[in-house]
Amino acid sequence: MTSEGTRKMSNTNEDKLLAQLQALIGRKSAPQQARDPVNQPSIRNWCDAIGEENPIYTDPDAAARSPYGEVVAPPAMLGVWTLAGNIPRLPDPDCPRSCAMKLLAEAGYRSTVGANTAEHYSRALKLGEQLSGTLSLVEVSDLKTTGLGSGYFLTALTEFTNQQGEAVGSWKFRTFHFKPRELTDEERAKQQARKEQLAKIPPHLRVRPRPAVMRETAFFWEGCQARELRIQQCGGCGRLSHPPVVRCPQCGSYDLRYQVASGKAKLYSFVEPVYPPMPFMRYPYIVGLVELAEGTRLLTNIVHCPPELVKIGMDLELVFDDTDPELILPMFRPAQPVRNTVTRRFEDVAVGEELPLWPIDVSTRLVVGGAIATRDFEDIHHEVAAAKRAGLKDLLMNVFTSNGLCSRYLSEWAGPDARVSGVDIRLGTPNVVGDTMTLSAAIADKQEVDGKGVITLSLRGSNSLGDHVTGSMTMELPMGANK
Amino acid sequence: MVMSFAGKTAIAGIGATDFSKNSGRSTLRLAVEACELAMKDAGVTPDMIDGMVTYAHDNNNEIDVCRSLGVDKLTHFSLVHHSGGAACGVVHQAAMAVASGACNYCLVWRAFNERSEERFGAGVQERPPAPTPMEVDFGWSSPFGLLTPASWVAMFAQRYMHEYGATSEDFGRVAVACRKHAANNPAAFFYGKPITLEEHQASRWIVKPLRLLDCCQESDGGQALLITTLDRARHLKSVPAVISSAVQGSCDDQQMMKSYYRQSITGIPEMKLCADQLYADTGLSAADIQAAVLYDHFTPLVLPQLEEFGFCKRGEARDFIKDGNIELGGRLPVNTHGGQIGEAYIHGLNGVAEGVRLVRGTSTNQPANVDHVLVTAATAVPTSAAILSRDS
Repeated sequence: MTSEGTRKMSNTNEDKLLAQLQALIGRKSAPQQARDPVNQPSIRNWCDAIGEENPIYTDPDAAARSPYGEVVAPPAMLGVWTLAGNIPRLPDPDCPRSCAMKLLAEAGYRSTVGANTAEHYSRALKLGEQLSGTLSLVEVSDLKTTGLGSGYFLTALTEFTNQQGEAVGSWKFRTFHFKPRELTDEERAKQQARKEQLAKIPPHLRVRPRPAVMRETAFFWEGCQARELRIQQCGGCGRLSHPPVVRCPQCGSYDLRYQVASGKAKLYSFVEPVYPPMPFMRYPYIVGLVELAEGTRLLTNIVHCPPELVKIGMDLELVFDDTDPELILPMFRPAQPVRNTVTRRFEDVAVGEELPLWPIDVSTRLVVGGAIATRDFEDIHHEVAAAKRAGLKDLLMNVFTSNGLCSRYLSEWAGPDARVSGVDIRLGTPNVVGDTMTLSAAIADKQEVDGKGVITLSLRGSNSLGDHVTGSMTMELPMGANK
Repeated sequence: MVMSFAGKTAIAGIGATDFSKNSGRSTLRLAVEACELAMKDAGVTPDMIDGMVTYAHDNNNEIDVCRSLGVDKLTHFSLVHHSGGAACGVVHQAAMAVASGACNYCLVWRAFNERSEERFGAGVQERPPAPTPMEVDFGWSSPFGLLTPASWVAMFAQRYMHEYGATSEDFGRVAVACRKHAANNPAAFFYGKPITLEEHQASRWIVKPLRLLDCCQESDGGQALLITTLDRARHLKSVPAVISSAVQGSCDDQQMMKSYYRQSITGIPEMKLCADQLYADTGLSAADIQAAVLYDHFTPLVLPQLEEFGFCKRGEARDFIKDGNIELGGRLPVNTHGGQIGEAYIHGLNGVAEGVRLVRGTSTNQPANVDHVLVTAATAVPTSAAILSRDS
């Protein structure tokens, strides 16, 4: 068979597959009934897992004073209610998505990755509402080739109604079903060359330069090992010095001690070294000159922050980096934002306003707790071995947890009475345990819609691998004077 | 306090090797060649040389230079610290030595193969952590990946941009001016190669916010000066450049390239200390200076130098530069030889030689009516500066 023939045959097969997939468009699944009504225990578990502390979700008294007058469910839980539990349901033979995935798997497209998620929350859900979700396939792409491989994008729309048949929201999920791509010869050669180049680097240049330590500066480095940031303090007059001195220039004392820093700081200046590349550094990186709350300055790295979002004056908090087992270094990252307890008014926010960054440590507790609280029992979210089989270093955060964190981020900035009404995000690099995702957002638009103040925020969650989520969210803010 | 030797000594001879990226010879040979040319320029012979002042980072000891030059006796030899910060420090030291009578004819030089052998730009990756105070100092920066001179200077630049609204283009205009001057200097590495601001903006990042064209070259080469008393210089071959004053400066919480722990890091207090001394010694002010050679290892720190010496107000150097003041024909032509950005990076000593040419009227970019020239040494380190003047 000629190669052209193969291509023809293959094209014919692909055309047939695409036609079969397209035939499923518009078909609806049987309505999936939620096993339980919207209920307080599930909400509480979700809030615990996501760290959501808005009292309108769990405290009847606080909720009574809110615009809803009663406890409501966090909007980002919409998709959770109708999911199966840990006991899988019998597959619905009519579900167009399942049918499509079966066709794709038979054709060799067995790998799946989430590409986009868009949710619309029409209103807040109240306790006792009984949801039902009906899924339809709304879009099938042509054969596409991405960095992952070749395959098809499927878009499924789930529409949610309550027991009265009232539409309460929808969830559009776009997934990519693909055959993993094999490396080209050129890429393989490049990879090999890089490996060989790395092997040539002498061991002492694979780690960051060690600091030289003298008797009078040892306290600082010992402090790092103990995960304390120490500032030299004169035992005589209390003066703080950094870098350390051997005699207090203010009072003349040789009795030099130290104070443990609070870990709060502001960025004073920074640089981003690019060239020449140092074999022991991971690029990009930022060297920051920070002003500690105590008043002294310190050279350090600014971590958990995309370089382009680093700004002089930003609030920072201390973290210790122990990626190098012999050298624990004090580093700084964007300070955790403070939860806002007074709701922002629509009139008081401006397009272009930037939210403070929020670094979130992707811990096993967060990933597993989040997966269970969102009824996601895929093994890559709770079984490390399964995650490793999937080529990941550790457990992977599920989409609903990411969604929940994004909602929490905006809500904590906007205040308890603001309501997230929609999410439209592109899914990128995985959030793997051990990494940190930093959320950032800015107000992209504000509109009055049907007497409601609606703001659109551009949102980004980046981790060490790139952008985990990028997209936009909409939110309703109260209008007019404070009640 | 006015220095007793102010105006009583002179640079009587200058000499330099070619400036290149690969000299093809030892640094000692470069030092000796430069010294020989400086002696010839002044018309002095080896038997007259009795003093030598060197840079701490220069690897060519005076005794080795003596053996090849045929200098048999030295009555003064000393060494000035802090790299490029010593550029006018060696002049200061030599002037004191000849004024005091410690010696009569003093050579100073700087020679290295900074491009083909030991590149400073490669950064400080391989420092053994021996606990000398200098190594301990590196311990506060190197583990965080702050390893190169460009990165040390970029930290000041970022803060300067933040406080005064200066931009990368403002820094770029310094490079454009230097390269414009170098383009007309046959001794410059970038002779005939001017750049545009667009080229500066398109050049790659070295350390954000610094681009490649914000950085001086790395060069091989040697430069020497012959310093003696003004009275003696008047009887030598070439027109003397009077050392109206040469001073050093180091200030509070001074660090090598990383004086980041001061109240403000957008000024250069050690340069201000030099300015105050120079103006006190000479009775001159910024208004009396017709040209300047300002140390330009990296463009951003040229701006606060203009401010510290009073050529413009604090934070306004970018406007001063934008208005064309530092170019030939402007209020204060700066780095008429092309600077270290355009001519060569010889730790600032080539800038002192240009100061001499400006006073003699022999610069390839000679402004009219130059009576006094300001020359500065490296910024961000303990530094030095001089005012060279026409012999009246």
